Parts: sequence; C-alpha cells; structure tokens
Amino acid sequence: MASAEIVLRCEEIAVAYGDVQALQPTSLAFEAGRIHALVGQNGAGKTSLARVLAGIIQPAGGRYWIREEEIRESSVQQARKLGLDIVHQRFTLPPNFTVAEALELVSARKYAGAFYSYGALRSAWLRELRRADIKVSPSAKIRDLPIETNQSLEILRALAGQAQILILDEPTALLSPGGVERLFARLRQLRDAGVTLLLILHKLREVMAIADTIAVLRAGRLVLPPTEIAAVSEQRLSDLIIGEGASVEGPAGATETRESDKTRTVNLSLAGVNTRHSETEPALAAVSLALESAEILGIAGVEGNGQRSLVDVLTGLMSARSGRVELLGQDVTDLKHHQRRTIGLRAVPFDRVTEGLSLPLALWENVTIWNAENFRRSRFGPLKIGAMREAARLALEAFDVQYESLDQPAGSLSGGNMQRLILARELAQGARVVIAAQPTRGLDFRATQYVWGVLRQLRQAGASIMLVSSDLDELFSLSDRIGVMRGGQIMAEYAPPFDMQVIGDSMIGAAR
Amino acid sequence: MEQFVVTTIRLSAPLIFAGLGGLFSVRAGIFHIGIEGLMLAGAFATVAFGTATGSVWLGILGAIAVNLILSFVYWLLIDRFGADMIISGLGLTTLCVGGAAFLMNALFNKRGSMTSAVRLPQPVVGPQEGLLAFVSELSILAWLLPVFVFIVWLLLRRSRLGLQIAAVGEYPYAAEAAGVDISRTKLIAMLITGLCCALAGAELSVGGLAAFSENMTNGRGFIALAAILFGSLEPIRTTLAGLFFGLADAVGINSQIYAGESNIPRQFILMIPFIATMIFVTLRGAFAHRRHSGG
Repeated sequence: MASAEIVLRCEEIAVAYGDVQALQPTSLAFEAGRIHALVGQNGAGKTSLARVLAGIIQPAGGRYWIREEEIRESSVQQARKLGLDIVHQRFTLPPNFTVAEALELVSARKYAGAFYSYGALRSAWLRELRRADIKVSPSAKIRDLPIETNQSLEILRALAGQAQILILDEPTALLSPGGVERLFARLRQLRDAGVTLLLILHKLREVMAIADTIAVLRAGRLVLPPTEIAAVSEQRLSDLIIGEGASVEGPAGATETRESDKTRTVNLSLAGVNTRHSETEPALAAVSLALESAEILGIAGVEGNGQRSLVDVLTGLMSARSGRVELLGQDVTDLKHHQRRTIGLRAVPFDRVTEGLSLPLALWENVTIWNAENFRRSRFGPLKIGAMREAARLALEAFDVQYESLDQPAGSLSGGNMQRLILARELAQGARVVIAAQPTRGLDFRATQYVWGVLRQLRQAGASIMLVSSDLDELFSLSDRIGVMRGGQIMAEYAPPFDMQVIGDSMIGAAR
Repeated sequence: MEQFVVTTIRLSAPLIFAGLGGLFSVRAGIFHIGIEGLMLAGAFATVAFGTATGSVWLGILGAIAVNLILSFVYWLLIDRFGADMIISGLGLTTLCVGGAAFLMNALFNKRGSMTSAVRLPQPVVGPQEGLLAFVSELSILAWLLPVFVFIVWLLLRRSRLGLQIAAVGEYPYAAEAAGVDISRTKLIAMLITGLCCALAGAELSVGGLAAFSENMTNGRGFIALAAILFGSLEPIRTTLAGLFFGLADAVGINSQIYAGESNIPRQFILMIPFIATMIFVTLRGAFAHRRHSGG
C-alpha cells in the first residue's frame, strides 16, 4: 500500500468558531479505495474536519487537496464536482418531499432542468433506486420512511452524484444492530468498487469491524495519523481517544451484583395499557410491565416501535385508552405529568435539545423552574430568586456540569453538559422512579460513562429505572432485565446473560 | 346568475393574485403579513403612475417597481438585519396604508379617494348572450388568471426553483446541504410575492372601478393569507380557496342589494364573507386535527 494514490490531503488545516479553536492545524492524507475511520470524543474536531473537506465551512487556515486539486474557494458544489460528498449525521432529505423530489433537490445528480415533468423525474430516480437495490417507491413521502431507508437514500444521493470519496458522519448512530451490519456490508461493496470512504465513528467495536485505517483526534489535535488498523491495539486506541492515564471503566465487565432479595417492591407498573397510535409510532397494545426497586429495566427495540408512546404514557404526556398505570402504590392513570412528578417520577427525555431543556433560558432557570412553586415566600408571594440560584448551583456542581455562569443560556452548553444539567435537575434531590430515554445518545465516551455511573448509583440507592435505548451495548452493561418492543408490544423479556444475536433478532422479528 | 359569476370572479381575482404571490413567500418560510400593504401599494401606484403617464401599462409597471423595492426592503429587514417577520410585516402594511394616503394628498391633492385616469382593458363589455355573458366587463388581468395560475403551479410544483423554495421553507438544513443559497432563494420568493401583489392591487383599483380609495384593500391581503393556509400551501387549492372567499364576498354584496329595505342590518350582511371564512377555516382545522390524531 506504500504507493497508493492519495485522494484527500490536508496541510495545517485549522477550524475556529468565533474564539473557539475547534481544530488545531492538522495535516493528514487518505489513500484511495479504502475505508478510513476518524474517531475521537465529542468536540475532538472530527466533524469540523469533515465539514471543511465537504466544503460546508471555510477553514481558518491551511491548504487541502481533493484528488490532487487544491481547493481555494471551498464550496459544496466544488467538492461535489471533484467527487467528494458527505452523508450527514442528521439527514438532509426534507420530510414532506417525495423520494424523487428530495433526491433531485439534494443530489448533485440532476435529472431535471429548470422545469420538469413529475413522471420523468419519478422514473429516472426509480432507475437509480433499483440500481442501488433500495425497495421504496419514488412517490413515498420521506417522513414515512424508516431511518435505515432514509440513510440508504442519503448514500444513494451521494453516489448518484458520482461521488468517489464519501464521508459518513456517525452513520451508525441511529441504526439497529442489524442495520449496522447491512450498512457495513454495503460500505465494503462500495470500497471494492473503488470508492474511498471516510467514516466518523464513536464506537471502537464498529471501527474494528469495518475500517482499514484509523486516525484519532483528541481535543482538536491529531493524536494518531491514519494507521493500519491491524497495527494498533484496542487498548492503545482507547488510551489515545480518552487521553493517557485516564482510566475509565469500559462498557464490558460492568455487571456488579445487584442488591438482591431484600424486600423489593414494585414502584411502577403498567397493566394492560392501550393507547392510540401516534404520528410516528404504532399504538401500545396491552402492555404490562412492573418495575421493582433497585433495578434497571432495559427497553430495546428498533426505533419507532412504541418506545416513545411507552415513555409518554408513563410520564403522563399521553393518556391511556384503557389499562392502569401505578406509581409508588398510587393509581396515576388519570394524573398529569406534574402530578406524577410530585409523587416521585423523574424523566430524562429522548431529545435533550427539543424536550429536555429550554435552550434560550438560563441554566438556573432550567434547573429550578419545574418546582418554582417551592421557592415562594408565601402562597401567592414572589419567588426567592436567590434561593433558586443557589439550589441550581448546588445541583450543577453535584453533577459536575462545566459552565461559566448561571445566567448563560442552556443552548450554549455542549451536548454532554446539557445531559448533565438534565440529570442534575431530575436527580439532584434523589429519585425513586426514573425513566431514562436514550440518555447517552450522541454523547462521547467519557460523558456516556458518567451517565452510566449515575444510573448505577441510583440503582444502588434503591431506585427503579427504566432505560430506553437503541444502543444494545448500553442496555447490556446496565440492565437487570431487557424487554424488547416491537409493534407497540413488549414481545419478550430477557435475563442476563444477554445474547446480542437473540435480542437483535427479536427486535426485528426475525425467526431463526 | 351571469352577473353573480362575474362579480365572484372580479372579487376573487385580487385574492388569487395576492394569494398565489404570497404562496411563494409562505412556502419559503416567510409568513408574509405585508401582503395587505403590498396590495394597497400596488393599487395606489397603478393609479398614480397610470394617471401621471396616461397609460395603464406604465401604471402597472410602476406598481411592480414600487413593490419590488418594498419587497427588497422587507427582505433586508428580516434576512439581513434579523427583524421579526411578523412585526416588520405589520410595519410594512402600516407604511403602505399611511404612505398611500399621504402621497395621494401630496401628489394629487385628494383626500379619501381619487379617480384613475386609466383603466384596464375589458375584452368583452356590454350585455351579452350565452357564455360571453359570464365574462362581460372582466378586466384583461382577470382573463389572464388561468394562465397565471398555471405559471405559478409550474414554478412551485414543477421547477427546480419550486423545490428549492419548498426546501428553504420546510427544512433549511436540507437546502444548505444541497448548496442552495437560502437568503437568495428567500429574496427571489419575496420579489415574486411583491410582483404578484402589484397585479392584485392593479386589478383591485383599475380592473373594474378605475379609482383608488384609502385602505381600499380592506383586509383582502389577510384573506389572501387565509386562502394560502386554507389551500394547504398548494397553488391549485389556494386558487380554489380564493374563489370561495370571492364567492362569499359576492353573496354578501348580492344579499345587500336584494335585502333592500328589509330589516337585516347592512353591517351584518357585510360580515357574511368574514364569518364564512372563519367557519370554513375552523372546520378545516377541526377536520385536519381529527385526521392528525388518527382514529
């Protein structure tokens, strides 16, 4: 491989957002026709580098070449013309467009001129869909498609534009285990067809499974230039990613015995709960479950199989058509969310940005606003702002949130710190029943470890935790039991030791 | 009967011009509340330039020029300076209402209303037999409505620009990733809105009457916005909604005539189109909601 062609080369590329240096001057090069992995924690500069290469942002300095051509005035069009395209972590196809319209809009390959006939557009993209073996109608609406199909379309729109170099930004983040395998198979096919792939990944296990070379960024610096994957050990990689000497407990081998056989009580239960179907999910059908004290019940499932309805019905955001919800011995079926909170329910919502926080509000407001009533001088008196700020400060410190001022807006925090803030708000005063929905999605290794540690401590202290996650590693390392949701039902429940294959099959309903 | 159809078309035409024009902005994500003002500016500028030059065509060109400038300023405010689109849209309308009254006084020394020296040609006039009776005394702009609707449909639903506008409004992130210049696309959409509102205003002031009066749009811009929402942001459905609102207006006017000396208060009859609009929009919302929550 010594004389392989270099398709992508950076010299002293730096990225800055305002005063923040996201990427220190970095030089590296990637060879043609291979799968390169770029790894690092959140904020390490991976995505910044990728966005420069794709022409989305301008570097603060340095030079770079795509296929021997130096890029002076970078733009998305320029990168695409040279055969480089990027599949973003967040999908780019507009939800209300049909498949054909969306592909036509976003792909560099244009089948239509300034005006088009819908029939011609449809059949042109149908051919592309068939060629890529994606079974979806070009007239289907993007918003009705499953995540996996959506991602296939993103890859298709890049390849239809004749991309020879394809960057994928955390392509596995939203996929089920089976979906990841299918994606990897497709990526290998592409590599064998001569496409150069640059994958931004979080999980070492996935890197080991797919990549030919690996490069590591840490805190905006390149700590490992692209290196043959066979030449580095997993231990060394993990040291490079986290930083030398900082030992963090790994996901594996984290099964401490649970405080068992004391008088355990059921803290939260559903009995025969049915709901109406929502826009994105099937209805819950006769769901029953019981959550005991001092246990973590994992809920696995391909996204969109009723997990959100389950969380909503437990937290009181959705009402059950029939059935019964009990919380700490009380029937809460007809109680609203804030009433359930008063009884002792706490929740970490699915999306910290849209549901978990009010981004424009200050940190202290985000932490204390839900129980502002407890900070009144008298029933109708004014709030004790000083006391609220103090309570917020204590909670933020207890959960090690990195912040500059209590008055800064929550939107200015990094993803990991946002999640810590939510944990601080929900858990600072102790909690007996916690619903944690995707609590580590999009977090880096260290932040993930932190969240896991908090959940384990809670269990130790006797709390009941329901953990909804699409990350099986997470579920396996934390859960005492795992229930699998499919089509709005709990299809099966598993006890340790968990088998990835069995649970993965159960999630997609594959018979084996 | 024929007269009723003619009245409906005449009352619908400005709504359809403004509604379909506004559709470009709304689809691009701008809830263009300045349509009301742009219509009024178009109506006044047509009369002003037309009276000054003696040509109705130069009048319309002048109105288009004025509206393009106003639209550009509105774009500057919300896109470049980050002003709130609703507040600055209201400001735009207020500016046009006041500006038209002021200029009418300053330039023509008229208060309240003025007559126009020019008027749009009407291809068929006078009493007619058969089908022609349905189009008698309609302005040339009203005749051109079908062509206009088709062009708008083509631009919004069958052109690359239409896809880009929809992406900018619905999912700017996609537009950005596709390399679409969001600001520029919004500007184009808003300029088209301005142009169409000039036509709407011209139809209003010189389509039938040949006169301009203060605040002669009288909420029609807002009705046009309602037609857009009522038409679920689709060109054909927005046109139908415009026709419906025009029909409601015609009913109001007709019953006003036939009510004659009856004891139904005139004010009540004038409310009919607005009440019909509210009932329709509410019903539609209720049905949409029911479909939404499934069952």
